[in-house]
Amino acid sequence: MRRPLSFLIPLLALAAAALLPLVSGPYPLAVARSVLTYMALAISWDMLLRSGQISFGIAGFFGLGAYAAALSVLRGGMSPILSILFAGVFAGAVALILGLVILRLRAVYFSITTLALAEIFRVIIQNWSDFTGGPEGLVLPKLIFNGESKSLYWLVLAAVVIACAASTMFEKSRIRLALSAIRNNEQSAAASGIGIFKYLLVAFVVSSFIQGIVGGIQLQGYGFASPDAVFDSNYTLLPLAMALLGGIHGTPGPVIGALLLGIAAEFLKLHIPYGHLVVYGIIIVLVILFMPQGLYGLLRSRRHAVAPVAENRVDAGAWGK
Amino acid sequence: MLTIRNLECGYGRLPVLRGVSFDVGAESVGLFGPNGAGKTTLISALLGMVRPTAGTLELDGQNLAALSTYQIARAGIALVPQERELFPAMSVADNLELGAAYIPHARDMIDERRESVLGLFPILKERFRQLPGTMSGGQQRMVAIGRALMANPKLLILDEPSLGLQPSIVAEVFEKLAQLKTSMSILVTEQNVRESLKAIDRGYVLENGRVILEDTAEGLLHNPHVISSYLGI
Repeated sequence: MRRPLSFLIPLLALAAAALLPLVSGPYPLAVARSVLTYMALAISWDMLLRSGQISFGIAGFFGLGAYAAALSVLRGGMSPILSILFAGVFAGAVALILGLVILRLRAVYFSITTLALAEIFRVIIQNWSDFTGGPEGLVLPKLIFNGESKSLYWLVLAAVVIACAASTMFEKSRIRLALSAIRNNEQSAAASGIGIFKYLLVAFVVSSFIQGIVGGIQLQGYGFASPDAVFDSNYTLLPLAMALLGGIHGTPGPVIGALLLGIAAEFLKLHIPYGHLVVYGIIIVLVILFMPQGLYGLLRSRRHAVAPVAENRVDAGAWGK
Repeated sequence: MLTIRNLECGYGRLPVLRGVSFDVGAESVGLFGPNGAGKTTLISALLGMVRPTAGTLELDGQNLAALSTYQIARAGIALVPQERELFPAMSVADNLELGAAYIPHARDMIDERRESVLGLFPILKERFRQLPGTMSGGQQRMVAIGRALMANPKLLILDEPSLGLQPSIVAEVFEKLAQLKTSMSILVTEQNVRESLKAIDRGYVLENGRVILEDTAEGLLHNPHVISSYLGI
């Protein structure tokens, strides 16, 4: 029974998400677009997290993607759709080069380095005024789909589908076991024949590629990129919080977390302007303290509760004593 | 065949192994010695986790010293670590699959290897979807040995397999090892010399980073130094 449902629920959710523009007004659609943007970022962040590496560089690769898209259009004359693809490829390529060095780092050293990278990208772009427009940023002469909101929404939904597909591929292929083993015990993983560096690099590049794509789409949606806008720390913190709330190390968790926290954020913004981030913070602290596996993890642990050990030990022989 | 010649290695300026030489052919070999003799360091060197400062390490003529840990595993060496070192968040099924999934010569025969491991340790069939942390020490040791066997290794290394297990389970571990030695080379380090001598063909005694004794299991059982230092008689 579980197998058909595991296909059916995502398909129904996708169908509902795809049909939303046909039944909703402009404001709900804008909120949904924002939620989907963060959802794709949350999924991409979680993909690397499955290896145990915590990146604080989401905003860095998102911003890099936005600028790569802007510059490819303004300086290279690229079409909007191609510029979004270029944004992903550029962010992925930068991740590949930097990953060769920084993926030698572990734990907090890796996390701090990714945080620093995002800031370095921002400083470089802000100071390279001739090419990047400096602090004032870049403005596109024309938006993709002429700024038509429904098409823009579907474009962001496509990015979420790409992120979900990549994430599911990670879960269904040998990468899942490799990343999980690396996270659990790196030395044992290597002794099991896992080329640790290769798998970390794949996860880092794919994750950054998605973040770049989302950055490119964001640029095409707003037609504007400035260092302060696209390297905003919210692009790191919100996806991270969403994944933590929904549940880490899988696709459903970040999706659930983005939906709940994204919608809650809009509600809070209306009722507690400027105070919503405090409530946001409280939610995160409570989740980490009382529900570290997240909502989806909690649901899963209830559904797949391990059979009682005493029951399992029947006929275990000497090994089970 | 594993060939080690004049191996020296250590940690920083601290030498641990001082010119160790020995071979493991199509047989089961024991490596005995007190704490601090260098047994675990030797295994770490074999797995590429500690780099030798001198000497050679070869498996079927392939220089292991030039390889990374994962390449050594793919070359045919599987380890059952001292602390079991299972993947706690992964089920028994995943732990077993992981043993073969990244080893080119074992990857295509995962089902076959799994059947063989479950044949050797039938209790794991009942624990297949369970997390290792919810199992007894003996069962966890079975998963660790099973995971190593999934790789269809040329050489199986067991680092103190009896550590932390009750005597009846230790006897079963060595009984299983005795069954395995017909199909692969085995190197086992142990402090429980009495039990392990029942499962091995030959053995070496390592003290202060040097091999001080080499003999058959029968020879070691009657050796005065082994009797006084390791058998407690």
